[in-house]
Amino acid sequence: MQTSAWLILIFPLAGTLINAFGWRVLPGKACGWIGTAAIGAAFIAAVATFIALQDRAEDQKQVVFVAWDYANTVGVDGKISILIDPLSIFMALVVTGVSTLIHLYAVAYLWKDRGYARFFAYLNYFVFSMLLLVLAANFLLLIIGWAFVGAASYLLISFWYRRTTATTAGIKAFVINVVGDVGLVIGTFFIFRHSHTLDFLGTFDSASRDFAGHQGALTAGLIFLLVGAFAKSAQVPLHTWLPDAMEGPTPVSALIHAATMVTAGVYLIARMHPLFELSPAAETVGAVIGCVTLLIAGTIALAVTDLKRVIAYSTMSQIGYMVMGVSAGAYVAGLFHLMTHAFFKALLFMAAGSVISAMGGEQSMDRMSGFRRAMPFTFVAFIVGGLALAAVPPFSGFFSKDEILTDIGARGGLWWILVVGGYIGAILTAIYTWRMIFRTFWGDPCPEARDLEEGHLYHPEAPFNPSNGEIEDNDVGFPGPEHMIAERSGEMKIAMSVLAVLAIIGGLLQIPFVTDALGHFLDPTFADSNLDLSPSDGLVVVGLILGAGLSLLGIWIAYVVWVKRPGTSTAVRERLHPLYKLFVNKWYFDELINAIVVRPFAWAGRFGQQTFERVVVNGVFVGGTTGIVKAGSAAARALQNGFLRAYAALLVLGLVGVALYFLLQSS
Amino acid sequence: MNLSILLWLPLAAVVAGLILPATEARFAALLGSAAALVLSIVLLFRFDTGKPGLQFVTNKVWISELGIHYKLGVDGLNLFLILLAAILFFAAIAWTALRDWERPRLFYLWFGLAESGVLGALMAQDLALFVIFFDLMLVPFYFLGGGWGDTPNRVAAMVKLFIYTLVGSLLMLSAAVATGVLAQGPGQPITFDLVQLASNARRLPVGSQEWIFLFFAAAFLVKMPAFPVHGWMPDGYKAMPLPVLAVFSGVLSKVAAYGFLRIALPLFPDAAVHFQELILFIALASILYGSVLAFTTRDTRLILGYSSVAQLGFITLGIFSLQDTGAQGALLQAFNHGLVVAPAFFIVALLAARAGGSEDLRDMGGIAFRAPILAVLFLIVAFANLAMPGSSNFVGEFLILLGVFNSKIVISFVAFTGVVLASVYTLRLFIRAMHNRVGPHVESREISLTHGLIVAPLVALIVGIALYPQLALHRSQRSVQASIREAKALTQPAREAQR
Repeated sequence: MQTSAWLILIFPLAGTLINAFGWRVLPGKACGWIGTAAIGAAFIAAVATFIALQDRAEDQKQVVFVAWDYANTVGVDGKISILIDPLSIFMALVVTGVSTLIHLYAVAYLWKDRGYARFFAYLNYFVFSMLLLVLAANFLLLIIGWAFVGAASYLLISFWYRRTTATTAGIKAFVINVVGDVGLVIGTFFIFRHSHTLDFLGTFDSASRDFAGHQGALTAGLIFLLVGAFAKSAQVPLHTWLPDAMEGPTPVSALIHAATMVTAGVYLIARMHPLFELSPAAETVGAVIGCVTLLIAGTIALAVTDLKRVIAYSTMSQIGYMVMGVSAGAYVAGLFHLMTHAFFKALLFMAAGSVISAMGGEQSMDRMSGFRRAMPFTFVAFIVGGLALAAVPPFSGFFSKDEILTDIGARGGLWWILVVGGYIGAILTAIYTWRMIFRTFWGDPCPEARDLEEGHLYHPEAPFNPSNGEIEDNDVGFPGPEHMIAERSGEMKIAMSVLAVLAIIGGLLQIPFVTDALGHFLDPTFADSNLDLSPSDGLVVVGLILGAGLSLLGIWIAYVVWVKRPGTSTAVRERLHPLYKLFVNKWYFDELINAIVVRPFAWAGRFGQQTFERVVVNGVFVGGTTGIVKAGSAAARALQNGFLRAYAALLVLGLVGVALYFLLQSS
Repeated sequence: MNLSILLWLPLAAVVAGLILPATEARFAALLGSAAALVLSIVLLFRFDTGKPGLQFVTNKVWISELGIHYKLGVDGLNLFLILLAAILFFAAIAWTALRDWERPRLFYLWFGLAESGVLGALMAQDLALFVIFFDLMLVPFYFLGGGWGDTPNRVAAMVKLFIYTLVGSLLMLSAAVATGVLAQGPGQPITFDLVQLASNARRLPVGSQEWIFLFFAAAFLVKMPAFPVHGWMPDGYKAMPLPVLAVFSGVLSKVAAYGFLRIALPLFPDAAVHFQELILFIALASILYGSVLAFTTRDTRLILGYSSVAQLGFITLGIFSLQDTGAQGALLQAFNHGLVVAPAFFIVALLAARAGGSEDLRDMGGIAFRAPILAVLFLIVAFANLAMPGSSNFVGEFLILLGVFNSKIVISFVAFTGVVLASVYTLRLFIRAMHNRVGPHVESREISLTHGLIVAPLVALIVGIALYPQLALHRSQRSVQASIREAKALTQPAREAQR
């Protein structure tokens, strides 16, 4: 098992290195296939590890492998060590499985792009980082994986680096992720101070003893860990980077900004559950922020018109469910939703990418309509993803979202407020999802769709940046001159078909009254949980019916507003103008952060540059010496004109002479 | 192994180079620094981690009347800094050897003298000897900057640097003399031997300790430089030729940080504890001030310059956390920062060569396109400079901040903003130089083989130490703990009393 566990990490790393060093010699699509094979091999290694783990006794299912001492000094036990247990293997399976399919999609999607090798090197590096994050057995390695993932995300967001919009989005994502890293480091410090070990299992084993009487430190530490989780998982108020991250190529959005990286926060909370259970305050903070995020993101998704950004806000919202779930103790349900979401959200992004290609790069839904007949395959994929996301039974999203809400309901009391928020969010989800589908696929075909029906793919006259309309530098060659749509690419079709199947049947792992396969598998990780969330049968039934009803209601509302009675949305927008302004301006989070964080620092920098440096440092502090400088420089100028050499020689001779004199004298 | 050979070899080589034809002088310097590099690697391998105290000691009476010894030695504190100096001087001399300089024999003479001076300051185990080398190592830089520098006002800049450091040096000299005199026991000969001084440390009255400590601290802080005594830095950095600047920024500032660990803490523990908060505040101010200036200036050199101010702030912060973790992290960070900043300055030289000779960010942009290898090298350096987890710089910063967190929690919180700001200014530098639209005079071309052969090994070292920082941590642990033991012990009862 040790070998297969390490291979999970080694394959993606090898893929990165091969693509990075082979960029000039690898022909054609080789880079893409090597990248895909590397991740596929990691998936196989994960399956092998999974099988080996299943053979072990129930209480032997948490294994740590140590590779080498990393920073093992003065009481800090930093090691390169991985933890194999049901939770980490579950995450590794989801990550490698979905990643393989997205790599496959990207083999075709980016095929005409000049940065093909670079893209796959980055993408493999991302998967390596993500696996490092989920397999890490101690805080130090977790932080490393955490930051690597952020760096990979930055590199891929800025992949088309000639676009200033992409580089700006990249640096924004990176810096907010660094804020998250800092949160994680401070959280680690708080915990380390009392646990005296960085090792996860060691910390958990003695947590109840170590933190007896240090409740405040534990809560503070966990809240800082949550800051890390919020930054990575795009929870309010550290979410503003995620919509901007849509500057990256669509496979990146599918892989990093939907299926895997952004769920790291959910994983973190689930991993830290023995600590969270000791601190109800931290649990509450996590759950409330999750709920707030899912509602805010849901409302914004109703208003924005950029196709990818709608899906991005939807991602935020769905992760809100997961964060709320795992914080409230619904670990299995939260992770279950993480998995099903990875399937259907990746599928939606792939389908959206196909549509955007058909539009020649344009992402605004205002320009799209009627793609139903032009892109039948993409249409079906989008519908499947949309039904799963809207949680229509029996699609996968239905069971997972339902389980989160009923589990939280089982805690009773004030937790019901969050459940109500979750159900409101469910209606919003159905509405914005189907708004997107109706606006894109229904109605009269737009010119681009008509072109495609006649058999040719639309290309804009000059390649342009869809975010600001700027014409691209044409010597660059990226984004590539050719656009790839699913209808014309085998690789994309295969990837999307597999995900579509998973989006339909993924829910079968965990059906109330029928099966509890996932819960049973994950049990060894959560065996030490003191929370027992088993909703009553009645609650489960009510939940199932309510969930199904609300999602169908939402779809019906979307149908009425955007298909049956076109014009309703304009009327609603005018009636509720202030609310619409709030939503379409994304609740003004960007402006707020700009005003309270970015501007003060920029101002301080300018002040230092223009005033402080000039006046204080050069004026007052050395005011008395300025005269000396002038006199000295005159002397030095004189020396420089020919005397310098003589002077230098003299100085060295003098020094040597003095040294020799004392040396001789002392002996 | 005889440390004197390692110490004087670079100087001996360039002196021998004086008899070579002017065009060949570079080979003497190159040979000397290469030999020093080999010897310092041998030193690393022959270093016995299990042994406490100094190793490879050379101890000769030099000026018996004054009790000054020619004493050299290596322990965990200076082992990796010696290696760093040898690496960076070799790289910088190799870089300078790629082009012709006016008056080359003199140029390389100064360079060789600088290396010997730095190595001497790092190896000296006698306070007087340390002071001499500490001043000696600066002299060549005045001349390298003033004689071969990049800006018209370079002489004025060097004079400014000279005055700043002269004040520091004079303070340090008087403090060193005072230390020797005051620590002299009744009926005992005067001594400047650091080991003996440390064991006599408690003999110094606390009042004298305090002013002596402040004098030393002033000299070290000017050299780093720290806020607000960094006034020489912008002009000085702009004046020096880039390869000279690479070693100046990479090594000399570390000697100052090393001075705190070697001299200030073991010799004046009471004063170190007394002024702990003052120094922490200076360090904190350096971090914040350096960071905000680094992300507003458009001069690529000064971005690195102010970034160094901030990074040296972190190093000082770690030392004065007076915790094992903080000091250990600080020493590792000194090595890391030198290893990062030197290639960064080389890269600035390459960027300027591609941006029509300008070092202004506004004239850059889009350089990555035809220079993917340069872009990757730069990217790794940038990530290391912002202390991304996974780099050795992160391990250093982690340990530093852990130390501060455990001693002064509020200061550590403020210091964390410096971590975030580092990512802002470093990425800003990278993006505005390499990405975005092509600048007006930018001509993107790949790094040349010769330049690549200098930068790539340095980057490989960054990656190597990132994978295994334990290499350095393991060897320095014992010495670092010994260095701060006295001061740390003094902080403990205070903390107990607070509870």
